[in-house]
Amino acid sequence: MNVIEAIHLARTYRRGDGTPVAALRDISFTIAAGEFVVIRGASGSGKSSLLNILGCLDTPTSGEYRLAGENVSTLSDDARSHIRSKRIGFVFQSFNLLPRATAIENVEVPALYTGAAPDRARARSLLDRVGLAERAEHFATELSGGEQQRVAIARALMNDPPLLLADEPTGNLDSAAGESVMQLLASLQEGGRTIVLVTHDEHVASFADRELVIRDGAIASDTARRPWRQP
Amino acid sequence: MRASQVIGLAWRSLARSKLRSFFMMLGVVVGIAALTALASVGEATRQETMRQFKRMLGTFDTLTIRPGANSTRGMPSLGQVEPSLKFGDGPAIATGVRGVKRVALVQQAFDLDVSYRNETTVPLVLGVSSNWADIRGEAAAHGEHLTEDDDRSLARVAVIGVDVARTLFHDEDPLGRTIRIADVPFQVKGVMAPRGSGPGGASLDNVLVIPVATASKRLFNRDYLTTIVVQLDDADDSDRVADDVRALLRERHRIIPPAQDDFTVGSPRATLAQIAKVGTTLSKVVTGVAMIATLIGGAVIMSLMLIGVSERRREIGVRRAVGATRRDVLQQFLAEAALISVLGGAIGIAIGMGGATVGALLQKLPPAYMWPMIGAAALLSLLVGIAFGLYPAWKAANVDPIEALRS
Ligand SMILES: Nc1ncnc2c1ncn2[C@@H]1O[C@H](COP(=O)(O)OP(=O)(O)OP(=O)(O)O)[C@@H](O)[C@H]1O
Ligand SMILES: [Mg+2]
Repeated sequence: MNVIEAIHLARTYRRGDGTPVAALRDISFTIAAGEFVVIRGASGSGKSSLLNILGCLDTPTSGEYRLAGENVSTLSDDARSHIRSKRIGFVFQSFNLLPRATAIENVEVPALYTGAAPDRARARSLLDRVGLAERAEHFATELSGGEQQRVAIARALMNDPPLLLADEPTGNLDSAAGESVMQLLASLQEGGRTIVLVTHDEHVASFADRELVIRDGAIASDTARRPWRQP
Repeated sequence: MRASQVIGLAWRSLARSKLRSFFMMLGVVVGIAALTALASVGEATRQETMRQFKRMLGTFDTLTIRPGANSTRGMPSLGQVEPSLKFGDGPAIATGVRGVKRVALVQQAFDLDVSYRNETTVPLVLGVSSNWADIRGEAAAHGEHLTEDDDRSLARVAVIGVDVARTLFHDEDPLGRTIRIADVPFQVKGVMAPRGSGPGGASLDNVLVIPVATASKRLFNRDYLTTIVVQLDDADDSDRVADDVRALLRERHRIIPPAQDDFTVGSPRATLAQIAKVGTTLSKVVTGVAMIATLIGGAVIMSLMLIGVSERRREIGVRRAVGATRRDVLQQFLAEAALISVLGGAIGIAIGMGGATVGALLQKLPPAYMWPMIGAAALLSLLVGIAFGLYPAWKAANVDPIEALRS
């Protein structure tokens, strides 16, 4: 079953002066449940633009995006917020933790928007899973980059989403911290979670099953990095 | 989001930037404190004025009739007034006007020397009919009050106020002693209960009463009155009774239009209504000023919230990315504005009530708190927070998450 179906996606921005910028043009591919896909491409090629659409933060100018079979390209802002809340986890290059909140409070943030009761125990067990149980009460600003990114991963897992999207998650980390973050992300594939990760780094790309290369807003290549096994 | 979560989130956000929160609420604190304090001080003053009038008049269910067309103010001596109110007018009102319970007659002077041995004082000297003390609801604290017999027999007896007793007798018991009022000897038969101060703070105890018939025939040698006090069966009936009294007196005094009345009918209730009205005008002005201060406080909240929104774009982007709807973000920022304003209001009310208490104690008045105004102040602070938080919250809700998250 395909988690992601991109059908002739295009995204055109308008600059301040009104001139159009075609960031994505005619992108089509599918991603099956449980796949770990890496997206590579030069700076400005449209990787982040694509990830925003896959994450339901943005909608395509034309084409169709199907998430688990449902066309979500025309949904309202509220409906897309609910999809992000329940089905998508984001990991950013710059971590994006709330600076005036503790690690555990940061992990809990996504739970605020599900309507469910607060679940501190789950947040704690997720921090434990990313190896930061003893940092729970530390403020985000008191953590190292690698620690912050691991808190951010715990946050992305809070509502147990089937799809994880990461935009250059190791871009701001040194190689040791980057390695541990990648080990962690790769481990999350187990249990059938789908991961889509944007990177420039060849070593990071080596963790994935499959590689999409984007050039000038279009798919330049789509290759299996290692034989992908149906889980 | 649950309401408790919204409030908890707002509380944490405010608690973690205390200095900013302090400046945010400052204007509202000042405005609401002013509103609470000024309203409460005004209320304490108004209540004290009422008490002073009550002590002066003894009772509010009366009409007072004085000689002259426009004698609403002041306390003229017998020698200075028109001789238009006669002794016969009193009984005529008592029998001729419906709704009249009792009528007391008064002759007053405050320019007579009263002496005992070497001590002299110049109190308010009142010649009164024997029912005067009853109408006021006053009993003698010591000895007896004047009786009908005293009046009938033109007895030279006096009941003195506590100030007079203290000045003339010091620690001596005044009962049975002979004092001289303008050199006429009178025997003290009672001492009045202390009354305290009247409007303007003057003592109401520097007073002395004698039978009005004695006063008229043996002291003043005048056959007219300075005041007739009419007690009503029903205080709510005072307008109608006043009209009837006026008609009766015009007839008795043979006044034919267009000639003016040679007397004035006054109503303590009307005077008090006037005072209460002055009170409300004052409180309107006060309310207006404090409202403006509070609105300025609201504007401060709005501008600091707007700065906060632009500083927290990334936070908004993160919340939106992990599933917050526009409405969630709107609620969060609106709750912060409302909470800070309500906290400011609560602190303002506490400060205002403290200020009002100190203000009242400095004036030696019992503190009074104008609860409706305090409730309105609390509501106002909430409304200000919501009204001035709405625009920043709307701005926050419309932050583009993609834009905000771009590194
Ligand atoms: N909001 C926007 N308005 C106008 N142009 C935009 C906007 N966002 C992106 N672009 C343009 O679209 C193109 C693709 O941008 P995108 O951020 O997707 O690239 P990227 O592959 O993620 O690059 P990088 O590796 O530097 O992050 C770029 O030319 C960029 O300048
Ligand atoms: Mg990018």
